[in-house]
Amino acid sequence: MPGEADFVCLRCGAHFKMPYEESEGPKERACPECKSNSVRRVKEKK
Amino acid sequence: MMDAGRHPRIELLSNSEVTKVKGYVGNFTVTVKRKARYVDEKECTACNECVEVCPVAVPDEYQQGFSSRKAIYIPFPQSVPSSFIIDMESCLGNNPIACGKCLEACDKNCIDFDDQDRFVDLEVGTIICATGMDVYDPTEIVEYGYRRYENVITSMEFERLICASGPTEGHFMRPSDQKRPLRIGFIQCVGSRSEKRGVAYCGNICCMNTIKDTLLLADHYPDTESKVFYMDIRAFGKGFEDLYRRSKEAGAQYIRGLPGEIVEDPKSKNLVVRVENTTAGRLEEHELDMVVLAVGVIPRHDAPVMRQLLTLSKTADGFLMESHPKLKPVDAPSRGVFFAGCAEYPKDVKDSVTQASAAAARAGILLSQGKVCIEAITSRIDGDLCIYCGRCAKVCPYNAITAPDRKKKQLPIVIEAACAGCGTCAAECPTDAITMKHFTDEQILAQIEAYLAEDPEDQIIIFACNWCSYPGSDLAGTSRLQYPTHGRVIRTMCSGRVAEKFVLRAFELGAPIVLVSGCHFSDCHYISAVQWTQRRIEKLWEKMEKLGIRPERLQLEWISAAQGQKWAEVQRSLEELRKKVTKEEIGETRRILAQERARKEKKAKGRPKAGAVASEQE
Ligand code: SF4
Ligand code: SF4
Ligand SMILES: [Zn+2]
Repeated sequence: MPGEADFVCLRCGAHFKMPYEESEGPKERACPECKSNSVRRVKEKK
Repeated sequence: MMDAGRHPRIELLSNSEVTKVKGYVGNFTVTVKRKARYVDEKECTACNECVEVCPVAVPDEYQQGFSSRKAIYIPFPQSVPSSFIIDMESCLGNNPIACGKCLEACDKNCIDFDDQDRFVDLEVGTIICATGMDVYDPTEIVEYGYRRYENVITSMEFERLICASGPTEGHFMRPSDQKRPLRIGFIQCVGSRSEKRGVAYCGNICCMNTIKDTLLLADHYPDTESKVFYMDIRAFGKGFEDLYRRSKEAGAQYIRGLPGEIVEDPKSKNLVVRVENTTAGRLEEHELDMVVLAVGVIPRHDAPVMRQLLTLSKTADGFLMESHPKLKPVDAPSRGVFFAGCAEYPKDVKDSVTQASAAAARAGILLSQGKVCIEAITSRIDGDLCIYCGRCAKVCPYNAITAPDRKKKQLPIVIEAACAGCGTCAAECPTDAITMKHFTDEQILAQIEAYLAEDPEDQIIIFACNWCSYPGSDLAGTSRLQYPTHGRVIRTMCSGRVAEKFVLRAFELGAPIVLVSGCHFSDCHYISAVQWTQRRIEKLWEKMEKLGIRPERLQLEWISAAQGQKWAEVQRSLEELRKKVTKEEIGETRRILAQERARKEKKAKGRPKAGAVASEQE
């Protein structure tokens, strides 16, 4: 199954999941709520 | 092809593959793998003696598998050079020789089983990339039954079946019983214009190809009934509408609606096409003898290799990206590289020829000048500050910086003819050893300082790239869009130029919000520089969080030159964010960052020094 990760929008604060592969380079992403590109991956706390 | 093959100044390297490209405009070294043919192409007269004795038969790729070829074969009738070649994958073996019948049959001793792949280096000034395209495989559209039903074929297969040099020598017949089909359906947009299966863009050539096919059928076999199932017919080129009209006059029926299903009669192998005729507003069934799927066009499977070799980028649809869609449509972003044909986008023969002529002319202009004007905005490395980390060479989207060698004390060198001036290297250099001409650190920092000299809490610092987001802001202005006026714009050529220190300096001087804006990934004017922007911003968010500064205060937006509306919307939401940043928060940030700066400056004092200024121009 293709990987997914949690993301948070730094504009509106929405949390959501998006396709994500560690090996892939950066991708253009947009928040599904407000369409902002200030989208940050929520890394798992070790 | 013949003309090219005979031209005294054209060297045709067939059965060859480019394996490496080094250098830059005017000075490329292209390494080509000349694959072993096992037949001397100069001596072979294509007499066919060898083919007659070869015992191996495999499906003929050129004839779409409708007929077979031998292990020794000529790829297609008009191929240049007109010489045979041995496909070693299907030959019974050359080491040791397992069969050798062709060897015995060839009077001219053209066959050499010891032939080896060779590598040749070519010195060239410009490169034209005309690597073509692939066609969509419709197997995944199960309801059309391609590969399940023998009489469902693709437009490429139709082409072979009706061609005089095809497997049936132009006697058109259907695969199941070799009888001539009398009722033929064409289904348009197979694998094109679909978000779910295939690709989202229009294949560009399929409508006209089908129209041409219906006319061919009407011409060769007037008793054939053609039915075309379509969404809309795109006949936009010169004379195309006329061709469409002629096809209808010749009796082809055009039924608006894409079939939902094809069902085969197991006995007769006839096909029933179920479709909603959206013009008539009813469900219909059409019994046909054969169905042709007008398959779409996709980027070549090995396009990533080509992109890597020539430092190219792709547009969202996967085709090669041009330097500028309107002003430089045949130039690649890497200087000295041009495009022709479907490698850049699906196009028909006429457009391919037009583009190829343009590409040849563009290349010719460069070559005849014998010199190139370099960009005014290029980078320059100060050897005294360089620590040989190699970061600049790694991030440069144009490979315009040679990698440094610490042991040999070799500094990185900027190849100015290749540098496009994005500034990514300068933004990434850990020791500020790189100066971007006309966009120096001092110039950018001075703008930040000037903007924040008074009432910094009221200002939003915005970095906007020259090609997309800055023109986007212009468009918002010229369109008279209303938005809050707290943004203070600093233009850079590329968002890749926006160094971490610019952002942190803005916060240190009291900026409540900073926005970094650039081109959408697929429009990046500097191949992939925008990806380094994203990486840097992601790192900055981490760093800000660690330092105790809210990452939300650093915003990132991709805004194209056409998105004035988006620019205005972003400004409105930034203003909402700005209002939430208190004076206390700004004060705390300033204190944290001043401390951080003092710590860094102390650390930098003990750094070792290197050589001299390194730029190829010196
Ligand atoms: S110029 Fe900067 S990035 Fe390049 S090798 Fe030297 S220190 Fe590293
Ligand atoms: S400015 Fe851009 S193109 Fe020029 S050397 Fe630096 S990274 Fe490469
Ligand atoms: Zn959002």
